[in-house]
Amino acid sequence: MDGIATTLRARAFSAEGLLVGALVALVVFFSIASPVFLTLGNLENIGRQTALVSIIAVGMTFVIVSGEFDLSVGSTLALAGVISAIAMKEIAQYAAIGALAGLATGAAVGLLNGILTTRLRIPSFLITLGSLSIARGIVMLITDTRPVVITNRSYFAIFGEGHFLGVPTPIVWTVVVILGGIIALHFTGFGRAVYAAGGNPTAARYSGIPVIRVKVISLTLAGFLAGLAGLVLSARAHAARPDVGAGLELDAITAVILGGAALSGGRGTVIGTLIGSLIIGILGNGLVLIGVDPSIQIIVKGLIIWLSVSMSRG
Amino acid sequence: MTSDVAAGPPRSAADVLRSTLLSGRMLYVAFVALIVIFAIASPVFLTTENFANVGRQTALVSIMAVGMTLVIISGEFDLSVGSVMALAGVAAALAMQGLGDVWIVGAVVAIATGAAVGLVNGLLTTLLSIPSFLITLGSLSIARGLALLVTGTRPINIVDESYYRIFGEGYVLGVPVPIVWTIVVALAGIVLLHFSTFGRKIYATGGNATAARYTGINTRRVKTICLVIAGTLAGLAALVLTARSHAARPDAGAGIELDVIAAVILGGAALSGGRGTVIGALIGSLMIGILNNGLNLVGVDPSLQLAVKGLIIWFAVALGKR
Amino acid sequence: MDLRRPGRAARWLGTAALISFGSLTSANAAGCDVANTLDVASLIPPGIVGSGPFGEAPSTIDSVKLTDAQAEQARAGKFKVGVVMQTMDIDWSKLVVAGITDTLGKYGAELVGVTNPSFQVDKQIAQIGDMIQLKPQAIISIPVDNTATAAAYKTISDAGIKLILMHQVPQGLKYPDDYQAVISPDNRGNGQVAAQILAAHIPDGGVVGIVDFGVDFFTTNERTRQVRAWFEKNRPDVTLKQVDFVDTTKAGDVAANFLTANPDVSGLFVVWDAPAMQVASALRAQGKDLPVVTIDLGIEAGIELASCGLIKGIAAQQPYDQGVAEAEAALQTLLGNQPPPWIVLPAVPVLPSNLTESYRQVFHEDPPEELVSACVADTGCK
Repeated sequence: MDGIATTLRARAFSAEGLLVGALVALVVFFSIASPVFLTLGNLENIGRQTALVSIIAVGMTFVIVSGEFDLSVGSTLALAGVISAIAMKEIAQYAAIGALAGLATGAAVGLLNGILTTRLRIPSFLITLGSLSIARGIVMLITDTRPVVITNRSYFAIFGEGHFLGVPTPIVWTVVVILGGIIALHFTGFGRAVYAAGGNPTAARYSGIPVIRVKVISLTLAGFLAGLAGLVLSARAHAARPDVGAGLELDAITAVILGGAALSGGRGTVIGTLIGSLIIGILGNGLVLIGVDPSIQIIVKGLIIWLSVSMSRG
Repeated sequence: MTSDVAAGPPRSAADVLRSTLLSGRMLYVAFVALIVIFAIASPVFLTTENFANVGRQTALVSIMAVGMTLVIISGEFDLSVGSVMALAGVAAALAMQGLGDVWIVGAVVAIATGAAVGLVNGLLTTLLSIPSFLITLGSLSIARGLALLVTGTRPINIVDESYYRIFGEGYVLGVPVPIVWTIVVALAGIVLLHFSTFGRKIYATGGNATAARYTGINTRRVKTICLVIAGTLAGLAALVLTARSHAARPDAGAGIELDVIAAVILGGAALSGGRGTVIGALIGSLMIGILNNGLNLVGVDPSLQLAVKGLIIWFAVALGKR
Repeated sequence: MDLRRPGRAARWLGTAALISFGSLTSANAAGCDVANTLDVASLIPPGIVGSGPFGEAPSTIDSVKLTDAQAEQARAGKFKVGVVMQTMDIDWSKLVVAGITDTLGKYGAELVGVTNPSFQVDKQIAQIGDMIQLKPQAIISIPVDNTATAAAYKTISDAGIKLILMHQVPQGLKYPDDYQAVISPDNRGNGQVAAQILAAHIPDGGVVGIVDFGVDFFTTNERTRQVRAWFEKNRPDVTLKQVDFVDTTKAGDVAANFLTANPDVSGLFVVWDAPAMQVASALRAQGKDLPVVTIDLGIEAGIELASCGLIKGIAAQQPYDQGVAEAEAALQTLLGNQPPPWIVLPAVPVLPSNLTESYRQVFHEDPPEELVSACVADTGCK
């Protein structure tokens, strides 16, 4: 068992090593191409811009490693932000109330995804495709498509615009989530169960691992983290907009797969996911810094996806 | 939930329901139920005109879903079809502008563009052994960016009348051509998948690639061909779309890949490969199309439509699952 | 430019305070000084700036108002009207549809349906087909584009249905056979108002950053074109720089990166309000205090303006009134009266001094409590 784990880890690290190589190459290239790329201000830029995808992608890593899929995270993010804003408006102007309402909403959507997927034994791809639509429709209905304004300053500070030890809070939350994710996935029994559930569910069941519960918890976690991302976004914008987050699921899934996870489950790491997210973020940042035409930016993004996956797996 | 109820007490009606369920035909029941509901809710739903309307509207997704069925059965994935459709349309329009306004020029260029992207997808996926999800995610970006770049983000006009007629606006025996093309593609797909050796190879490749290799199947070639077919059909879809709109837009078809994949999965294909049918994918595509059409005809609030659409996807997969 | 921002090094090394917050938004407290010197009346363009798609002279919305006698006739007619929008996911569309719905209801006409193609051409073509099935006597619609939807719009007149357009005319459609009127905001006028407000905040020889939509789209093109034209004519000292976003959810990121690469920018024009709010949030995050001017009065942008934040002024459309005029034009057509081809609603300059009044004009309802309370006493917000 230990021997297999070591081999797996070694393989993961070598793939990650190449991925880190791709990341470093990008950083070196943009540092040369743009004098402002390596400034503290721009690094904060990148951190803030990748925060949403990174936070969501950690949850997605659990889901994908467990052998499932979550397309609903973008809509869940919007729903959580809006519910949080409405809760503060209607109940009381405390950041804690907004946070609680937003996170609970996210977790509830995730729980529902998990229960429907495992109890009805329907592919999570379809279940979460349904919840993508449903959550977005609910958001549009309850807000009448208008943004819900937030006025709570401590909410802004805690989730979006404050600093902790001088670091912008969106980056702080990303770091917290990444560290939490690393511990949960790589250093706990639950983490091992997630790999087992995705790697070979039948074998996992025979060895007494509650596969269904593991998948439900993973999807709930993904919803919960989408909720946290919703808080970060709405705190930065001073309002919860019903149309945010569309298409974010593809960015998050890309980050996870770029980071070495297998779509069929059983493989993937949190660090890999973070690197995947950073590659996408740095690309978006650097190409604008050097003034590349937006159409060409889209092409380059695709080429880099090809290049980095072929480097890390070829 | 619903299936539990259907499989409940051992009565004869329930037994019938149960056997239908077990044979995987509940999707058809859901499909008919949807038609009945809309027929009752809207007096215009069951008219010939509206059928032609739904057929035209679902043509794009149906045509591409046939290709996607092959790809998914072979154990792969194609996220790039929406962008490829845009790129192929733009290429066709530019070719006709540059080389001469003859429909055949546009047709050849669009099909060739689609097939070429599909070939690149297939070669990169199989030669580099990289998940097609990532390769086609890359080509999704690249094709879209190319389409935006070569057009300067502007739509390109198409002026050839016979092009409109052949791919978008004409009729064959009174049937609108987008529907004719859908039927042609579906029939070819059925023959290829269910009545040819190659079809059996596709199932074998997606069902168990290792076993397939041992029995002498070149799984790489099978997968590549499936991705080429998917690209080619995205090119055909581009012809239908641009002939109906008399222009090619570089931003057309964004997000349509999700509808296409949903149609295929709704139709009973397994994301892990090895399972699926062309007929199922067509029913899936029609269900999504009828849903969009029916909700508009009944006049449901657009925000509510989104939620209802999601609920019906849940309901349909719960009914249709095996 | 960056004086109010705490030193970066100091912040990173800071050990005393665990959390320091609130410093960024307060950086904008003096934001109303310039805006308060502007006179709303002087910003309103004399007449309509843009001309019709075929050079038609503009008509006002009064040209389609129903007389008492016509109102009687309309009620007796019990007309059926359908609406095909470009999207229903934004406030603007909701207000237009509200104006249409209220007006049709007032004259006893039935609204048979409203469709939402989410800016996708293929979906809009499909929905025009759906709408024709419902057999309304008139369709009110805004084309997603004027090229690729043209053939579908032609089928409306072929089906004997009257067509009232918003903003633009699909290629090849002829007035009055294929469509009976176009109702449009003065897009260029909006661009001009925005440019004038922004110019007041830009120092001599300053740099204006234009944050535009990177996809060819009629309304945004018209706005940006006039912003450029106005600066080139009236403020030749100003340098114009531009960055485009293609993904509407990434406008804030794109602007943040653009500002990092172009620290000389002294003010921003953002082509509509939702991306402008993303840009404002990116500016706050970077600790930059730059004036932002945009088009369309949304609630978020309104609050930012009221509190003298980063948004210094807005050129607003009047979507509700536009919807009213569209419904009236449809009814006039159905009564056999021919509306003029190009009916335009003028741009509305919105500053702190006329904010609540403008809100009522745009939304046809009282401003929400958040907006009123955001008007701090000393900002001159009314």
